[in-house]
Amino acid sequence: MKILVLVSQTQDTEAKIHVSSSGDSIDTGGMKWIMNPYDEFAVEEAIQTKEKHGGEVVIISIGPDRVLETIRQALAMGADSAVHIKGDGFAETDSFTVGKVIGGEIKKLGEFDIIFTGMKIIDEESGQVGVQVAEELGIPHVSLVSKVIEVDPAGKKAVCQKEIDGGHVTVEVPLPCLITCPDAMNEPRYASLPGIMKAKKKPLTVVEAGDINLGELGLSAEALGKDGARVKTTQMKVPEIERKLTIIKGSDEPMVKGEEVERSAEELIKLLREEAKVI
Amino acid sequence: MSNEVWVVADLKIDGSVRQVTYEALSEAGQKIAGKLGGKLCGVLIGSGVSGHAASLGKYGAEKVYVIDNDILKDFNTEGFTIALSELIKKHEPAVVIGGNTVFGQDYFPRVAARVGAGVTMDAIDIDLSDQNTLKIQRYSHSSKAIPTQVFHQNYPMMTTVRPNSFKAVENPKDPEVVDGGVEINPADIKTRVIELETKESDRPELTEAERVIAGGRGLGSEENFKHVYELADILGAAAGATRAAVDAGYCPYDMQVGQTGKAVSPNLYVAIAISGSVQHFAGMGSSKVIVAINKDPEAPIFQKCDYGIVGDLFDVLPPFTAKVRSLVSEG
Ligand SMILES: Cc1cc2nc3c(=O)[nH]c(=O)nc-3n(C[C@H](O)[C@H](O)[C@H](O)COP(=O)(O)OP(=O)(O)OC[C@H]3O[C@@H](n4cnc5c(N)ncnc54)[C@H](O)[C@@H]3O)c2cc1C
Ligand SMILES: Nc1ncnc2c1ncn2[C@@H]1O[C@H](COP(=O)(O)O)[C@@H](O)[C@H]1O
Repeated sequence: MKILVLVSQTQDTEAKIHVSSSGDSIDTGGMKWIMNPYDEFAVEEAIQTKEKHGGEVVIISIGPDRVLETIRQALAMGADSAVHIKGDGFAETDSFTVGKVIGGEIKKLGEFDIIFTGMKIIDEESGQVGVQVAEELGIPHVSLVSKVIEVDPAGKKAVCQKEIDGGHVTVEVPLPCLITCPDAMNEPRYASLPGIMKAKKKPLTVVEAGDINLGELGLSAEALGKDGARVKTTQMKVPEIERKLTIIKGSDEPMVKGEEVERSAEELIKLLREEAKVI
Repeated sequence: MSNEVWVVADLKIDGSVRQVTYEALSEAGQKIAGKLGGKLCGVLIGSGVSGHAASLGKYGAEKVYVIDNDILKDFNTEGFTIALSELIKKHEPAVVIGGNTVFGQDYFPRVAARVGAGVTMDAIDIDLSDQNTLKIQRYSHSSKAIPTQVFHQNYPMMTTVRPNSFKAVENPKDPEVVDGGVEINPADIKTRVIELETKESDRPELTEAERVIAGGRGLGSEENFKHVYELADILGAAAGATRAAVDAGYCPYDMQVGQTGKAVSPNLYVAIAISGSVQHFAGMGSSKVIVAINKDPEAPIFQKCDYGIVGDLFDVLPPFTAKVRSLVSEG
């Protein structure tokens, strides 16, 4: 099977976030860049599919030089080769264009069976690119798949479980298809030391942004920059919610014990009724 | 191109209209349709849905487009994509709004790609820019930042909106009902739902609830989650959970609150045995009042809540629940 995975690099949002001086973006200076956590699930699912059915896993990523590190991580986890679509302006490119550009490069790779992507990228949180790549390629997608029940390369179909409110659905989809991955669908493996060594020697194709034929994709010449974006971020705020931090503790040790328990329950209820007025 | 502002009804799997639809109609009516000088329209896509036109009218829809087709039963992603894309191509609305539910998240980006529209997801504020284009606010960076995003004049402009972000306000209209007239070729439907399993619940839906009682890994078992449900039921609250609790099999996935799960912003969020991870906060950090019960005084949640008790949930919750019960029964 030929299995593709779209892998993006993201700012580590566990860190504290500051607005940049321009006021319309997050300051990325000194920020740690990591593989988008949802894409780790996508890579893991791809490798497991390969382990079951044979074939190859190809990583595709768009971004500046630094994304190479993330591509290497995916190769070290067990992917076989990668395509790096390289350029500096992609941070401001809209998802519609990113979807078209990725779709265009995928078409050049020839036939494939299945594409895995993350459900969304945790910095911008757009949650669009995967599905838009499927549209560009004219293949069906199943989004937010909690479990891939079966991939059947001979029967050319996959069966997936998807969570909906109040339950779940089982969906059958013909191959080739695209699947978007939420968390907890599997346990992403760590890159092993031999894996990391081998990753350096795996085939990597670099596509320069400047060499992409935008006209062929139906895109305008400005499509890759901020001015060509369908949607622009004009302001960025960091919400500061002041919390009261009224914490009831025990007198001898932090935990309330014995008769303190009763009293603390009463005190909390009083606060919720009289101060917060929520019960 | 018309000036119409569309709100696509988000339907539950039982076919009823989700509250977010009325919220979106109310907000779009006040903030967008008026200023743009365009008609506020509802869109009904599904099987056996025509009957809902009147209820969309109740929240301000002056016109309702209907695409009623058996093929669209149980939310079929390709069917919905074709229906909405074709309808957009035919009538060229200025703005198209939907709910940011598992369904909206699934087909709105795809429709946008098909019709060449700009699209944003999960807006918490919608308005018009000085150029009369759509302007939205949403959360990003695990809900630690709020970007304002402005659309280019590239029609239509599409967005999904987060449930419970706007108030549904009645504004009764007697809508003109228009048959969408979109044909769907069964051969274009490639993904098939082969099994559907749903369970009814008496509790309010997480994304719509005013109060949420949530449990984490510290509950220790499915059986112990009864403590969460008991308090939730006394307070008429929805029940939520962390991913760790869902992963451990203590409760179903649709209770998961957080970056992957549901986004909630109730008046009261009670976090029981929840450590307070960034990913969990991404789904509930905007709650008005956050209460934590945790036995670890160092748990991060104690740095980000309004009220808390450092204690064992099995000690603290029973007297707390009992007292809440007697309060509620007193009225
Ligand atoms: C890509 C990605 C997406 C994610 N998305 C989500 C998401 O959507 N939602 C989500 O919730 N998580 C999400 N997570 C997981 C998240 O990182 C945390 O692992 C998770 O939220 C922890 O859940 P928890 O607080 O229940 O468990 P823990 O962190 O294990 O905390 C349990 C708490 O219970 C307390 N406790 C234990 N016993 C008792 C007792 N008897 N009485 C009182 N307190 C007790 C402990 O002190 C501890 O603080 C995601 C992770 C990743 C990587
Ligand atoms: N720059 C990129 N390069 C490769 N894949 C991407 C890129 N951006 C997004 N994706 C894929 O699309 C998914 C959704 O991203 P987004 O729509 O940006 O939230 C991600 O989880 C990736 O799998």
